Amino acid sequence: MTGDADSLNPFLGYEAVSYEAWALEYDFLVGYKMTDMSPEPALAESWETSDDGLTWTFHLRDGLKWNDGVPLTAADVAYTYNRVLTERIAGGTWRSYLKTTSSVTAPDDQTVVLQLDSPSATLPLLPIPIIPEHIWKDVSKDAMKQYADEPSDGKPVVGSGPFMLVEGTAGGSSYKFVENPYWWGDGPHVDQVVIQVYKSQDPMAQALIKGEIDFAEGLTPLQVKALQDQPGVTAHNGISPIFEEIGFNTGSVDTETGKPLGDPNPAVLDPKFRHALGYAVDTEQIVRTAYQGAAEPGTTIVPPFYTTWHWEPPDDEKFTFDLDQAAAELDAAGYVKGDDGKRTLPDGKPIGKLRLFARSSEKPSVDTMDLLKSWLGQLGIDSEVTAMDSSSLGDRIIEGTYDIFQWDWYVEPDPDGILGDFTCDQLGNLNDSWYCDDDYDAMYAAQGAETDRDARAEIVKKMQQQLYEDAPYIVTAYTKVGEAFRSDAFACFQPQPDPGGVWLIQYGGHNYPLLRAAAEAGDCDGTPSAAGAVEVGDDGTPTAASVSAAAGDGNTMGGFLAGVLSTLVVVAGFWALNRRRTVDDRE
Amino acid sequence: MSAVVASQPAAPVARRRSYGRYVLAKVLGALGSLAFVVVVNFFLFRVLPGDPARVLGRDRLKSPADQAAFRSEYGLDQSLPHQFLTYLQNTFTGHLGDSIRYRVPVSELILDRLWPTLLLVGTSTLLAMLIGVWIGIVGAWNRGRTFDRASTGVTLTLYSMPEWWLGLLLIAVLAVGLGPLDGIFPTGQLHSNDVDPTSLEGVLDTAWHLVLPVLTLTLAYLAEYSLVMRSSLLDEIGEDYLTTARAKGLRDVVVRRRHAVRNALLPTTTVSALSFGFVVSGAITIETVFSIPGLGLLSSEALTGPDYWVLQGTFLVAAGGVILANLVVNLVYGLLDPRVRT
Repeated sequence: MTGDADSLNPFLGYEAVSYEAWALEYDFLVGYKMTDMSPEPALAESWETSDDGLTWTFHLRDGLKWNDGVPLTAADVAYTYNRVLTERIAGGTWRSYLKTTSSVTAPDDQTVVLQLDSPSATLPLLPIPIIPEHIWKDVSKDAMKQYADEPSDGKPVVGSGPFMLVEGTAGGSSYKFVENPYWWGDGPHVDQVVIQVYKSQDPMAQALIKGEIDFAEGLTPLQVKALQDQPGVTAHNGISPIFEEIGFNTGSVDTETGKPLGDPNPAVLDPKFRHALGYAVDTEQIVRTAYQGAAEPGTTIVPPFYTTWHWEPPDDEKFTFDLDQAAAELDAAGYVKGDDGKRTLPDGKPIGKLRLFARSSEKPSVDTMDLLKSWLGQLGIDSEVTAMDSSSLGDRIIEGTYDIFQWDWYVEPDPDGILGDFTCDQLGNLNDSWYCDDDYDAMYAAQGAETDRDARAEIVKKMQQQLYEDAPYIVTAYTKVGEAFRSDAFACFQPQPDPGGVWLIQYGGHNYPLLRAAAEAGDCDGTPSAAGAVEVGDDGTPTAASVSAAAGDGNTMGGFLAGVLSTLVVVAGFWALNRRRTVDDRE
Repeated sequence: MSAVVASQPAAPVARRRSYGRYVLAKVLGALGSLAFVVVVNFFLFRVLPGDPARVLGRDRLKSPADQAAFRSEYGLDQSLPHQFLTYLQNTFTGHLGDSIRYRVPVSELILDRLWPTLLLVGTSTLLAMLIGVWIGIVGAWNRGRTFDRASTGVTLTLYSMPEWWLGLLLIAVLAVGLGPLDGIFPTGQLHSNDVDPTSLEGVLDTAWHLVLPVLTLTLAYLAEYSLVMRSSLLDEIGEDYLTTARAKGLRDVVVRRRHAVRNALLPTTTVSALSFGFVVSGAITIETVFSIPGLGLLSSEALTGPDYWVLQGTFLVAAGGVILANLVVNLVYGLLDPRVRT
């Protein structure tokens, strides 16, 4: 696994580093608010929608320019969206944000108009990188799949974001960005950002201690603990939108014929059985032992990270670790104990051994399944744990030859994506628990067309409730991301969400312009809670310590310029691997 | 050639072939191996679990139509024989296909990653060979003395250590520093990100960055050479011709250098030459620990996906390296020792 950029072309790449590069290089029309990921003005200053919700009009800021000095107009925005709408490759990553859009026009230089076929719930959020027409008009539809979009002949990539990419190639080991003098926003306050790719975490943590780098991401809980004791370093486990789950085979079918596929145990097909097991999973112990404390106990598939959308089960419905309750529900559903003390199926046949699958690359995955095996054992259900590489597990899920697996998801700010993964449409594709329910699908369609945020949140919460009760997944934990930075060199990291969120690798990339050298940080220019971020680490290091550490430790031969920020990204980091995991159809 | 052979009377065991014929046979053999590798290479990676459209396509491919288009874009929807023909064509044109992950020709990727690996593994192999052979000679000549026991113990210990662990220890001590002592070397990467690697400063900077990884690999490889050299020299030490040499009044150093070592070098030559064949397959663990973008990392990372064309390309280069080294060893042997030509 690598943490490098697979492609710097915003229509091709999918790795975390690629997304980070685009967030620095390009702008969105409407981006994410730092604090709660709701839509926030970016290139567009304001917008309005018609009464029927079918026409959206966006007004651009004054005086926008590309980093080569060419004016950025509404025509560039329309050009970008039209390529997304009409071309398969360009549409691959981004079309879901323009799902019901039929046309995009630019009546004048500062106005963009979207015409919709039906109202869309995800608008006005449009986190699609806007590309310059005067550069990309030379990239044909066919050339798109090979277009690298990398700096050449020393010239930076043309974009409009706060920084511009001056060095770096797909699969390279470092990416260098310098300040864009034409950027419309306030800042940036650092001259350059260098993203350095580390292939293993320990040397990265050592490089941070030594001051070769100024920020590290994807650290293990143990490393975070060790770094908290280092002078001049602030470290924490930041809240991130990742959930871990125990997933069931709720009924694998051949998507073409509709006939059952694979060999799931009859027990796991039964929602009552799965619901009972909800009481047999001690999420607190999983957090403590499998994740070494760097997680929160889990409940639903939309993390509490997203306050607008998350549904928290009320006390009388919430799974608490209670084996008696689990046993009572199993008894009631007909899974009673036989003479040998093992539970049987309602028809009296033995359940046999449930097959539990974990990912061998992730120790917490294996630990979770081992714990589940022991809890099942206490209920009188036999099981066996098998660990395998994720490709093999993916194949197995597609074939339906499993009962229970462990995996995780990275959830986007808009819940549409994760909710859609449980629809019948995604059977044999992203729907890895083979969940398919008409009521659920109807609600999915309804939330996608509901433009009132509150009304939509109601539906989204109902959907989570249904999934909680039917339990295709038992969400075990919301994991955190280990981060650390040289607090004697830099300050003004704003957490996302605030408080407790990750410091740098966030949705939107707006935090980079806020960063300042520690010596000039002051109050971070009044950036809300930015100074607070520095205090999140519990080592109490004063923020304005000596900056000399950053200005070249004397150890690196070249030495860094003062004010250079190096961001480290680990291969093994969560982002790289788990931005989105997928399961798809058979070949 | 045939005239030469014909003029020789039938040898009792086997006829000795001419060198030219020997070369021809070996080259053909090598080409045969290569052809075999080319074929196996294709089918070997097709049995890997996973589906590139699923793993590399990620969430972008939400509908079956998108997936079908992705497969056709990379020729994954074609029949296996058809894909095999495409693969052969790609291999013979040297293009090697396009990486599914990076969307660039595999040949470009391999060329990019080749020189870090050559620098790292090549230098380490060379150093380990020179130092290891020297240790082996001195150890065997002074068998059982302090140096012999100490060097055997140390090289074996280093050989048994996992390379990545040794690397991490060296980073902790020599890069970060121990206690009051500051480390002097970088913790990883091939070069600093603010130098041009082709300038003089860049070359020096790269050398500076390679000190620790090269040191790690050299230490780990030492025993391979020192032990072979030591044991083959010990075999020679008891031989009569050494007694004769000494009886002629030659100094000990001369006996060792001119007579004993020269005869003991053959096995070491074999080991060394074969090791050089493995240089191009890289050193996955050390490339990982020190974040050096080499061929080893490229191939191990291509396993996820799987990125068939990258795997095939790197495997072909690695196998080609070994076959070539083998061929060279055979040819040199044939020259040095006519007996092997039979």
